Amino acid sequence: MKDIVITVRRQKKELRILLICFAFSFLLNIAAIIIYKTSWAEIITQIGYVIIIALALYVLIAIIRLIVYLISRFFKKRK
Amino acid sequence: MSTDKNTKQVDLELRQFIKNLGYIAGGTALLITVPWLQSFTTDKLSEIKNEKARVAILGTGSRGQYHILNLLRIPHAEIVALCDNYPPNLKAASDLCPKAKTYTDYRKMLESKDIDGVIICTPLNWHAPMVLDSLAAGKHTFCEKSMALTMDECKAIYEAYLHTDRVLYFGMQRLFDEKYIKGLSMIHSGLIGDIVGIRCHWFRNNDWRRPVPSPELERKINWRLYWESSGGLTTELATHQLEVSNWAMKRIPESVVGMGDIVFWKDGREVYDSISLTYHYRNGVKTTYESLISNKFNGLGEQVLGHKGTMELEKGQYFFEDVAPAPGILQLINNVEKRVFSTVPIAGPSWVPETASKQKPHYVIEGMVHTTSGGSMVGAENDGSDNLISAFCQSVITGEKAKDIVEECYSSTMLCLLGNQAMKEQRKVDFPDEYKIPHLKF
Repeated sequence: MKDIVITVRRQKKELRILLICFAFSFLLNIAAIIIYKTSWAEIITQIGYVIIIALALYVLIAIIRLIVYLISRFFKKRK
Repeated sequence: MSTDKNTKQVDLELRQFIKNLGYIAGGTALLITVPWLQSFTTDKLSEIKNEKARVAILGTGSRGQYHILNLLRIPHAEIVALCDNYPPNLKAASDLCPKAKTYTDYRKMLESKDIDGVIICTPLNWHAPMVLDSLAAGKHTFCEKSMALTMDECKAIYEAYLHTDRVLYFGMQRLFDEKYIKGLSMIHSGLIGDIVGIRCHWFRNNDWRRPVPSPELERKINWRLYWESSGGLTTELATHQLEVSNWAMKRIPESVVGMGDIVFWKDGREVYDSISLTYHYRNGVKTTYESLISNKFNGLGEQVLGHKGTMELEKGQYFFEDVAPAPGILQLINNVEKRVFSTVPIAGPSWVPETASKQKPHYVIEGMVHTTSGGSMVGAENDGSDNLISAFCQSVITGEKAKDIVEECYSSTMLCLLGNQAMKEQRKVDFPDEYKIPHLKF
C-alpha cells in the first residue's frame, strides 16, 4: 500500500473546479429567479439547493474526468 | 364511578389557554371579544378552590348521563339530585352517582334547599317551563340547547333572565372550545380577509331513533322526531353552527329561505330528515346550512370563506387563497426533469378537468386538534362541553353571571325556529322586530 499524496497543485485545481461549479449553480439560481419571477431573497434562501447542485456538478465532472483519464491511459498503454 | 384524586382537572387546559391568549394578544383586549370567558380564568378558579356547587340533573337520558360523567371529573361540583320520569334513565344515572337523591317530579326537586344549581337535559318542549320554574325557585340554571320550542318561549326565558339574579347558561359548547375561540379570534384579526360567505353542514347516517320498549313510549323516547317536542335538525344540530356563524360575522341574519323534506326515513316521523337553508345577512353575506341524516360522507363542518383564505373551524385548519409559488430553482429543475423524462403526450391538457388547487393546510392550534365526525347522538369528546359545565359550576358558587351566553343561544335558537318556519311555509322569512334583542346587530 502506497501513501497517497495530494499535492498543493492538485488541491488548487480541484478547488478551482469546485468554485466554477458553485458559480454556475449560483448563476443558475439567479436565472431561475428571473425566469419564474420569484423573490430575490431566494439568492440567500435557496443557497442550500445551490450548494447541492454545485456538488452534484462537481461529482459529474469528476466522473467524466475519470472516464477521460481511463480512456487516455488505455490508449497510452496500447502505444 | 367515583372521582379519582389523580384525575386531571377537566378545564385546566382551557384556563391556561385563555391565559396564553391574553398574553399573546395584549391582555384583556382579547377577552373583550369573548366576554363569556372573562370569569373563566385561573385566578377565579383559585378563589373557589374549596367549594362545591351542589347540582341536580333534570333529565337523565343520554345527554344527562354525558354531563354526569363530566361533572364527576370537576372538583368544584357535586351531584346531589337526579330527576327523570322514565325509570330506566333514572336508574342508569343513579348507578353513575349512587349518593344523589332521586326524584320523578321536577317541581318537588326544585323545592329542595340542598340544590344550588339545576342542569336541564330534557326534550325541547320542556326547556321553557323547566327553566322558568327553576329560576323562579331561586336555582342557578343550565339548560341544554336549543333554548326553547317556540319564539314566544324564547322571549319569555330572555325576559326572565333579565329580571333574575340567578345564573343562566345554555349548552352552546363551542363558546368554550379552544379550537373555535382561537379560530374565530384569528378570523376577527383579519387572517382570511373579509368574510364573503359561510358554509355549514352536518351529515349523519342513522335514523335518530332510540329503542322503544312499548309503543306508547314512542313520542316520549323519540321526541326528536315530532314537531310537538322538537325543532328537528335545526334545533338539534344547526343551532351550534348558526351560533358560530353569528360569532364570525358579529351580526345576525335578517332573513332565511329554505326547504325541508323527509327523503329517506319515511317511518312515521314528522320532522325533516333533509334540510337546506340560506340565511341572509344585511351586508349580503350568506350562511348556507345543509343537513341530512341518510349520508355521512361529508360529516360536519363550518367553513368561513374570506377573500384571502378559508377557515374550517371544526377541523381547526385554514388555507390561503394565494399560495406562494415554489422557489425558482425548484421550478427550473422540475421543468427540466419533465422535458427529459416525460413520455410523449398523446393529448394536450384541454381534457384535464379543472380542479381546486391543492393547498397546504395551516393549523389553528399546533399539535393534536380534536375533531369530531358529528355522528354521535350523545356528545363528542373534548368539544367544550366539559369546560362549559365547569364554568357553570363555578358561576353557581360565585353567583357571577357569564356574559352573552343567553344572548348567543337566544339568537341561534331564533334562527333555527325561523328556518323551520321558512321551510314549512315555503317562503322567505324575515327576523321579526318583536323578537329582536339588544345584543348583536343586524
